[in-house]
Amino acid sequence: MMSDMLHLPLLPVYLVDAVGSALMIFFAIASMLEARRLLRRDPQNVLWAFFFWLTITLCALAISRSFWHLLRFFFLMAGKEIEWRQLAPFSGSINTLAFCAVAMSIFYYHSAEKVIATVRRDADLLRQAHRELAAAHEATRQLNQTLEERVERRTHALRVSEEKFRSLFEASKDMIFFCDREGRICDINDSGLDLLAFPSRDQVVGRPLGELFPSPAVYEQFAMTLAQQGHVKDFEVQLTGGTGAPRCFLLTTTAITNAQGEVQGCETIAIDFSHIKEVTAQLIQSEKMTSVGQLAAGVAHEINTPLGIILGYTQLLAEDFVDNQEVSETLGIIEKQTKICRRIVADLLKFSHPAVEQAMRPDDVNKCLVEVLAIVEHTLNMDHIFIHRCLAQSLPQVMLDAERLRQVFVNLINNAHYAIGNEGIIGVWSRHLVEEQEVEVIVADTGAGIPPEVQNRIFDPFFTTKGVGKGTGLGLSVSFGIVKDHGGRIEAFSPPRDPELLAVDMHTAFHIRLPVLRRQPDQEE
Amino acid sequence: MHAPAPVRCDPGFTIWPPVLAAWVLAFLLALPSQAWAVQAHGQSEGWLVHQLAHILFMIALIFLLTVLHRRPPGVGRPWKMLKLSLFLFLLWNIDTITVHWLASRLPEGAVDQCAELADRHIHLPASSLWLFYYMGSLDHLLCVPAIVFLFLSLRGFAAETGQPRMEDGKG
Repeated sequence: MMSDMLHLPLLPVYLVDAVGSALMIFFAIASMLEARRLLRRDPQNVLWAFFFWLTITLCALAISRSFWHLLRFFFLMAGKEIEWRQLAPFSGSINTLAFCAVAMSIFYYHSAEKVIATVRRDADLLRQAHRELAAAHEATRQLNQTLEERVERRTHALRVSEEKFRSLFEASKDMIFFCDREGRICDINDSGLDLLAFPSRDQVVGRPLGELFPSPAVYEQFAMTLAQQGHVKDFEVQLTGGTGAPRCFLLTTTAITNAQGEVQGCETIAIDFSHIKEVTAQLIQSEKMTSVGQLAAGVAHEINTPLGIILGYTQLLAEDFVDNQEVSETLGIIEKQTKICRRIVADLLKFSHPAVEQAMRPDDVNKCLVEVLAIVEHTLNMDHIFIHRCLAQSLPQVMLDAERLRQVFVNLINNAHYAIGNEGIIGVWSRHLVEEQEVEVIVADTGAGIPPEVQNRIFDPFFTTKGVGKGTGLGLSVSFGIVKDHGGRIEAFSPPRDPELLAVDMHTAFHIRLPVLRRQPDQEE
Repeated sequence: MHAPAPVRCDPGFTIWPPVLAAWVLAFLLALPSQAWAVQAHGQSEGWLVHQLAHILFMIALIFLLTVLHRRPPGVGRPWKMLKLSLFLFLLWNIDTITVHWLASRLPEGAVDQCAELADRHIHLPASSLWLFYYMGSLDHLLCVPAIVFLFLSLRGFAAETGQPRMEDGKG
């Protein structure tokens, strides 16, 4: 019977119980202290709070259980097992309470987890909001940066464009101006001020554009065209500026309208074509002279032969009627008039025929002038007309026919003599125009001047203001042809163009310009 | 290694479910009969309440292990140690419940009543069940490692929270 029983010593059980109880107390307290350290480090951490309360209850369990176990050993070792049996129910009850407390603290994790989840969700939401806020901030920053860059880019482009058009406006050699809706000039460039001879912009800005027009009717026509078509192209008009001297302009104007199509003003580009018009007039005159010259040459050639025959027979008859005084005088008149006709024909031929190349040679213009003045000065002085000389020293040589050029000077001085009559001054100037590479001779007088209405006709053949029998009207025509043959040009100004001539009271001035001789390198050698 | 979730709790939050705790306390105080821990419990009421307390402890441990497994608040060595600690406490409860149950069926006179504790023996029927009873009486071999792992786990948390945080820290 005893062989079916196990006889096991209780000492190992007691030892493990005693040592284990002590270790349980030690590690339970150590765990509680560790949890408290965690909670103190982060008092608001609910997980650490959970561990702290868990370790407290475990500590209570360990102490109560181990205390009673150890106490039991003392009672047993003291042989007081009966007394221990009376205390044992308290030990079990307290252990039961401790178990329940530990279990409750573990169940508390459910609440703690909810708090953790809630806080995490809030933290996630906060983090998400933070990220979105950061993204929004970054987007706003980039938008601001983009906007700044755009504004800077647009501003730069606008500045470049403004500078470009401002440069175009200010540097243009044509007149550019703007008008408001009332037709008053509100801005004008420097070229406009120069062309209209206004000393300052203040004298132009605010001035009605119509005041510059030659007449209200012309301005009315201009304004009406602009209103009807929205633009005016190549409107030819003479505008009068600060000095009162009109200049010819071609106006191209465009109306400025707002978004509603209402006219706010206009912008105009005015091209000064006074010089072009002048050159065109000269060209027309030149062509006319050329045609007349060709016609005159043909007529002169046909008339010259009959005139020679008439003159020859008249002289023969004069020899036959030497004794008859009445017939002889009549034949003399015929001979004289025939000779006049031949001289006219000769002048016409000179006017129309080109210069003979062989007669042209390099020479000094001053030399021709001095020779002519020496001849005519005495005659002029008899009518109290004095000559004012102002001849440039060392003029460059000109390819010229001296004899024909002297004829030009004689014609001009004779015209001046006729214009002055008695008592006056004839001025003669010569100078070298370096830029144009020309030699200019000016013959001016203090005479009556040339009326404006005949200024365009003075170079026409047979046009004269002299009385019948006093002039043939070929002098200036012949002079025009001779100067042209020399490659130059002749112009008349009454009153003179140069302020210096006006200063010495000259009323008419003839300007002759001849090209300076350009030597070839071999000629120079 | 992730630090445990540093959750902020509401300062007004009540940690103990006061109603439940009061009820349990009242229930236990209403049973002033004898209760025995590992040692034998004489009266069945005290024994039953004690066993129920162990079962409640087990349920709590199973609950916490399940929650930590399904919704782990963190990963890393401290959390593993915590789980191991809970698991050992669970085994310890199973052991003690079994030992308490076997102790209630211990034959009369199984333990020597001699004065010297070192000479005391226990006389048990030769079966694996009673051999398990004898071995199960050494329950501190389970609960001491359990409390040690809990301590190591807390030290691990403390070490982690003392280091610079890799993430945003709390939570």
